[in-house]
Amino acid sequence: MNCNVAVMLMHDYLDDELPHDDIAGLKAHLDSCPACRTRMEQLEQTEALTHRMMDTHFVVTAEQSSQLTQRIMSSLPVKRRRTGSGFSRWVRNHPAVSVAAVFVLVMFSSFLAMWQQDSQLAVRGPDLAEVVIKGDTVTVPAGAHINGDLTVENGKANVLGEVDGDVTVISGSLYEASTAHISGEVKQIDQALDWFWYKVTTSISSLAY
Amino acid sequence: MISVEARLARLALQGDQRAFAEIVELYQDKLYHMAYRMLYNRQEAEDVVQDVFLRVYKNLERYDATMKFSTWIYRIATNLCIDRLRKRKPVYSLDAESGEHEGLDGYAMIPSDNRTPESELLLSDTQRIIHQAIATLPAKYKSVMVLRYLEELSLQEIGDVLEMPVTTVKTRVHRGREFLRKKLEHKL
Repeated sequence: MNCNVAVMLMHDYLDDELPHDDIAGLKAHLDSCPACRTRMEQLEQTEALTHRMMDTHFVVTAEQSSQLTQRIMSSLPVKRRRTGSGFSRWVRNHPAVSVAAVFVLVMFSSFLAMWQQDSQLAVRGPDLAEVVIKGDTVTVPAGAHINGDLTVENGKANVLGEVDGDVTVISGSLYEASTAHISGEVKQIDQALDWFWYKVTTSISSLAY
Repeated sequence: MISVEARLARLALQGDQRAFAEIVELYQDKLYHMAYRMLYNRQEAEDVVQDVFLRVYKNLERYDATMKFSTWIYRIATNLCIDRLRKRKPVYSLDAESGEHEGLDGYAMIPSDNRTPESELLLSDTQRIIHQAIATLPAKYKSVMVLRYLEELSLQEIGDVLEMPVTTVKTRVHRGREFLRKKLEHKL
């Protein structure tokens, strides 16, 4: 065994971390190497002396001890801040959840605000040439043919002709004449939540394309 | 099962001063002893202990009951002691060995206070030598050695207290032990 290795094993041995098999190896080396034997003795002596020195010759009288206790207790801030309430502690312990909750709240309230503010008539669709807008009524005249979807926000939709696509009415009403022909889906959205969902899905699908 | 300390901490958090006094009583002497072994100065050791409890009091609500209370409080105490050792000579590093005196570093130059508990007793030469050797240990070894020999913590526990990997703790124990061995080699 190399002496450098032996020194490492000596330290492990003193740390109580030397596997049993290696103890025999170390012992064999110590038997054959006087230098390492001396080193081991010195280390053991150091170990014992350090232990003893750290532990003893330190006298704290009961009086000193109680004086220090008094000093500590009187140095504490008298009034504790009332931070221990359940809510603030919960927030402090769950930062990620708190941030997420605040985020959702802000998003939701801004959507709600948009929902309430938005009272302007809006008509959307790829083909609006034949659509007639009068006041808050959006009419698809009889005989007209609209290629694509039609979306009406905050107004009445009056479908007399043909729509080759979906018709969506948001916070408004829809009148369908018997002559009307709508090839796609007809959707009426009145509830804030439906509207919210509609906004989310349309913005996500517009992102996707 | 919840530890005594964690229970006392909760009571103290609710404003029970007596519960906090019990925590102080449990740890005060241990911490004082430890701080003294790190700083070798009674006044400073007392200041550190006071500081430790002040911090514990202020941060009680941040105590994580899954961690051992002793680990937490020793961590605060060792950090404060190391801070103090660093502040003693801000101009140059204490760990650097000085050129003129072989094997002596900044710590050896600092006059230790006369009112040491050791001086109140009659020390043998051997004890004086080992005392001197421990006093001159560089700070990063000293904290490890104090926790190892005084508090008799395991390497893993020392790693938890000092927030370092066990391998680092091991290396420091080995180097610290060799440091002491060399200091004592020709004197004993």
